[in-house]
Amino acid sequence: MATVDRVKQPLLSFSNALVVLGAALMLVDVYLIFMVAPTDAVLGNIQRVFYFHVPMAIMSFLAFFVVFIASILYLIKRDQKWDRLAHAAAEVGVVFVTLALITGIIWARPVWGVWWTWEPRLTTTLILWLIYVAYLMIRAYAPNRTQGALYAAVVGIVGFVDVPIVYYSVQWWRSIHPSAVVGPLAESGALEPVMQGILLFSFLAFLVLFLYLVVERMALRGLEDQVRLLKFSLHRTGR
Amino acid sequence: MADKERDPNPAIVYEESSGKSHRLRFAILGVVAILAVGYMIYAAFPGNTLYFLTVSEFMAGQEYQDGRMVRVSGKLMEESFLRQEDSTVSQFQLIDEAVGPGIAMNASYVGVMPDLFFNPHSEIILEGHYSPDEMFEADSILVKCPSKYQSLEEEQRLQEQEVPAASS
Repeated sequence: MATVDRVKQPLLSFSNALVVLGAALMLVDVYLIFMVAPTDAVLGNIQRVFYFHVPMAIMSFLAFFVVFIASILYLIKRDQKWDRLAHAAAEVGVVFVTLALITGIIWARPVWGVWWTWEPRLTTTLILWLIYVAYLMIRAYAPNRTQGALYAAVVGIVGFVDVPIVYYSVQWWRSIHPSAVVGPLAESGALEPVMQGILLFSFLAFLVLFLYLVVERMALRGLEDQVRLLKFSLHRTGR
Repeated sequence: MADKERDPNPAIVYEESSGKSHRLRFAILGVVAILAVGYMIYAAFPGNTLYFLTVSEFMAGQEYQDGRMVRVSGKLMEESFLRQEDSTVSQFQLIDEAVGPGIAMNASYVGVMPDLFFNPHSEIILEGHYSPDEMFEADSILVKCPSKYQSLEEEQRLQEQEVPAASS
């Protein structure tokens, strides 16, 4: 019983700080996006989706990078904490890449004229989504937890190959998708300074949200592990 | 801090049932997932197939003009757009910006034009096929916008900077 109390305290205070900070940043971010950001001359108001779409996509890249690193560390050290980190980051990454796809679909319809088209950036992103959905399914369908963690770690390492492919797709192949506004491919002057500033702020808000979700999911995974442990020992001793 | 203590020993704890049906299902799932992803990569990029051709590539390549489905990208030629009165039947010409108006492709489309079709910054991508009467019959129109975002004010300010020097 005492262990349950011990689990709660340190994690909750840290995640509480993150949730307060994250909520505050997110509120300011929404205000900046809808009230402060200028309306785009060509695209109009729909361009505001940009401030959600791009940070979500980049956070999913970050999440899958965390999965990649944590999976390598788990395979080397076989320490549960790396598996928990990889598992949490993968789930959060799937959420972010799903949102990036949905916001992209919403943006594409009024601007390109179609909801979806099989062009390189969109196709590789959908593959990215499938890879990490498969990653989660592997954990769920594995014969046991340890094997699931091992198989997932392999997928988490190999699957990361698609992240740079998604990023460079707009440069490697002809694409309808606009080119990158962040990272090594970004061109200077692609964004007005005000827009750049708000995009940066939006990144910060989504980064805190990302951290909060990962921390909370890891704590939950820790509790799930404990429940499993308790059930297991109950099953052993009970009968 | 307290983190390490809580770690249950995974190897002992998580060995649940590892029956053959589980393993088989898992293997089938894995194979299906790999095949699906592989097929999608193959379907998306078969050889050197490109997402779209430019107008000049399309006009130069007889093999593209045999009525097959193809995507062609170009700029709307100024003042080439015609719509039949009281209908949604439109005809226009696309040109290759890099080559100039020398090579133009006649195109037709039935339907409502996307909002940004007439924007001078837009690139038009047509999906459709070439008919024997040298007309590209578009089934759908996609509009590609520049990867540059600018407010109306900023655009006007920049234009004002350029215009006095250029014209008046």
